[in-house]
Amino acid sequence: MSSLDQLKQTFFDECSEALQQIELGLPDIRDGSGSEDTINAVFRGVHSVKGGAGIFGFEDLVRFAHVFETVLDEMRSGKLAATQEIVDTLLQANDVLTDLISMSRSGESIPPDFGSECRAALQQILHANSGGEGIADDSAAPADFEGIDFTPVQVDFDEVHAEQGGTEEGASISGEHEYKIVFRPKPELLKKANEPLYIIRELKKLGALDLVAETDRLPPLAELEADRPYLGWTGTLRTTATREEVDDVFEFVVGDCELEITQIDAALAPAPGAPAEAASAADSSAWEGMVGSVVPPDVMAEKPAANIALSVIPTPVVEAASSVQAAPAKPAPAPMASPDAPMPVASVPPSAAPPLVPTLDRVEAAPAAKPQAAKPAAAGATTTRVELEKIDRVVNMVGELVIAQAMLGQVVHSLPEDVSGRLVQVLEEVTHHTRELKDSVMSMRAQQVNAVFQRMPRLVRELAVKTAKKVKLELAGENTEVDRSIIERLGDPLTHIIRNSIDHGIEAPSDRAAAGKAEEGTIRLSAEHRGGRIVIEVKDDGAGINSERVLQKARDRGLVSAEATLSDDEINNLIFLPGFSTAEKISDISGRGVGMDVVRRNIQDVGGRISLKSDRGRGMTIQLALPLTLAVMDGMVIRVGSETYVMPMSAIVECLRPPASDIHALIGTPGMLRLRGNLVPLVQLCDLLDISSTASGSDERVIIITDAGEGARFGIVVDELCGHQQVVVKSIEESYGSVPGIAGATILGNGRVAFILDVEKLSDIASSNQNVQTGVARFVNGESKAAVAVG
Amino acid sequence: MPVAAVLKVLVVDDQNSVRQMTRITLEQIGIRHIHEAENGKEAMNTASLQPLDLIISDYNMPEMDGLALLRAVRGHPAARKVPFILLTGRGDRELVVQAAQAGANNYLIKPFTADILRQKIEQVMGKLS
Repeated sequence: MSSLDQLKQTFFDECSEALQQIELGLPDIRDGSGSEDTINAVFRGVHSVKGGAGIFGFEDLVRFAHVFETVLDEMRSGKLAATQEIVDTLLQANDVLTDLISMSRSGESIPPDFGSECRAALQQILHANSGGEGIADDSAAPADFEGIDFTPVQVDFDEVHAEQGGTEEGASISGEHEYKIVFRPKPELLKKANEPLYIIRELKKLGALDLVAETDRLPPLAELEADRPYLGWTGTLRTTATREEVDDVFEFVVGDCELEITQIDAALAPAPGAPAEAASAADSSAWEGMVGSVVPPDVMAEKPAANIALSVIPTPVVEAASSVQAAPAKPAPAPMASPDAPMPVASVPPSAAPPLVPTLDRVEAAPAAKPQAAKPAAAGATTTRVELEKIDRVVNMVGELVIAQAMLGQVVHSLPEDVSGRLVQVLEEVTHHTRELKDSVMSMRAQQVNAVFQRMPRLVRELAVKTAKKVKLELAGENTEVDRSIIERLGDPLTHIIRNSIDHGIEAPSDRAAAGKAEEGTIRLSAEHRGGRIVIEVKDDGAGINSERVLQKARDRGLVSAEATLSDDEINNLIFLPGFSTAEKISDISGRGVGMDVVRRNIQDVGGRISLKSDRGRGMTIQLALPLTLAVMDGMVIRVGSETYVMPMSAIVECLRPPASDIHALIGTPGMLRLRGNLVPLVQLCDLLDISSTASGSDERVIIITDAGEGARFGIVVDELCGHQQVVVKSIEESYGSVPGIAGATILGNGRVAFILDVEKLSDIASSNQNVQTGVARFVNGESKAAVAVG
Repeated sequence: MPVAAVLKVLVVDDQNSVRQMTRITLEQIGIRHIHEAENGKEAMNTASLQPLDLIISDYNMPEMDGLALLRAVRGHPAARKVPFILLTGRGDRELVVQAAQAGANNYLIKPFTADILRQKIEQVMGKLS
């Protein structure tokens, strides 16, 4: 990727952020709850898009953003009121902008009249507002402005540098007060990323500051710790500022330092101009040269590690004498190292001492030597952009590591115990670290679900307009993080669910009013972590599911036999059946009933579960529970006959070996297990996969109780449990397409390939009674059993 | 005559992409010491910590916009003489007039080429060598 392409990527990333800002801000503006900041933020968003687009040559984007921006600018300056109508147009404009950006990003050619309608609407707004003046096309604006007088700079570079070293004018004003100030930072102050330099600098802004550093606590250079404050300051401040203003300077550090502020006198007489010029006489070399001058040269030479110390010393020591000229005049407590101060500071020869009390201009340069450290941590968590490919490569490598570690484990455990004893300990350590490494890498790949959620407000808006319903979307937990691979597959299902909610769930405003509800329906989209999974909920306050109608439809379509009696939950779950639609009229929104069926499949494909709760007349909730990652998972290694499989731990409820008396044969089924008073249907994995079992009797077999979602439990009968292992999921889809019942493959500790079972599909297959020659059996035993190459 | 290679330039823009493009363009005309800041506040911080030869700043930024930055720079004892070029869009004449009154030394219309950038810098600082 060329650097220009990379920059374009950066630009598009910025665009996404800007769009989000706009998307979130616009509704607030309409509600009237938006502050000036909101409109400014929205304006800035559009402005940024426009500016960047210009630089990268996306002319269509610039043209559209310009009109958009102009309308916002009018609003910002109060010339245009944010009526509902106008904000709606702006929301549409944001949609057009979003599309334009995504087309520019993918390099599609943009149709010449794209967004022209919306652009015309924006121009109409401006036109109406300006009383017919309309808006000048930005591209017609001159690329240069004539007749503006700029002060030409006669830059004398030496002068500039010298000037910059100058201090403030010291002219005092009457009404001044003098305060005595004692300020000794404690370690907490630095730990909270406060910087004494800034505080002193703030103080200095208030007036004539005369501080002297107490250097007596300075340890020898070798013992100096970078994160401990060794200095204190005492002195006076002459200022017209009030006591409160002086106190305010220390607002954030007040508990983290020894602080004493006492007013020495009442109003002072006008003071003579402070002789600040002394400082400005410093030459420009002071900027560069100061670091060396703070610590005497002999110390530098003595300590090769001086650079470490330097980053600490200059800041406090230097600013210490913010009013230098006064320092020698006063018998300050400890402007220099006190006699009992330890070496080597105390060994500083008198001639070298003055640099310890340097002039203010030198002070300023100190933090420059460590700009990173000087930056307050309050600026927020720092981030760095890393290409996804790189992270994916690390993820893959960690996957290989997990496998290698499992292999190592097998080797170690096969050794005689006297040899393996110590090894096992080390191996446990390695296992522990591998797991942590995996978790950290996974968290790097994690994204906020916001990436998907942010697309929904627009969807809701558009659908609400189409269906003439009033719908409000509430988002919660949008910062919840989940692996990128899940995020990518979440968009379609969520879109479908929300479409369904608006189309079938939320009633028309008149119906809602008649039912005593607010005319505006609410859809709440939320995400949270729960028990190692991410749970996403779509909750609406619509009509809920009409179970009679659902059941009737299902019977009409032959999905349910006429005699079957179903519980409400079972009825509700019928909407997940293929080819089901209850909408009286088929709309172009939720389509022809393929929705929920596809949704469920999508969710199951990523190892998730979908469940539904409906409260007739009050609304319904659809819950998606998804794994946090797809790349690595906890698996139970099982054996059936001579074959080894992996079952996802997340699907396993419990494992047991029940007495034969608890297993009841039922004709036409593999049997039922009586478990704590309930009957659980059994599935013989060997039959399902067409493998001959090696277990002689049912007593030897193990039953794994699994949860196939929607609370439906069943037991899978296997020959043996071989152990629990973290497995790296390798897709087989690329090579073999989708195989029902198989979720993927993995490499086991012994180096062999094992299939990962898709428990929910297995249950579907088993219950559809086509278990003898299913796709699974054909696949596993037929064409591809020999050697499965997994990527 | 200022030597491009030793000039210290501060680029202020909230958009990373724009900053980087400006940086690349500055490098094309031989400027090597380039500092960056995301907004006026950060810029002011940088400007008060070290001598700068030129500030090129966008107008529209969160925290502290370009005009506010310009005024802060002009009011800062150490940085008040640093030449200041305002980045602006086409048609923002009013803004440029305001900036000129506040002591800006020139403006640059986005997008700009290396030639225009050099031309503007030279108008402000004299021929670059």
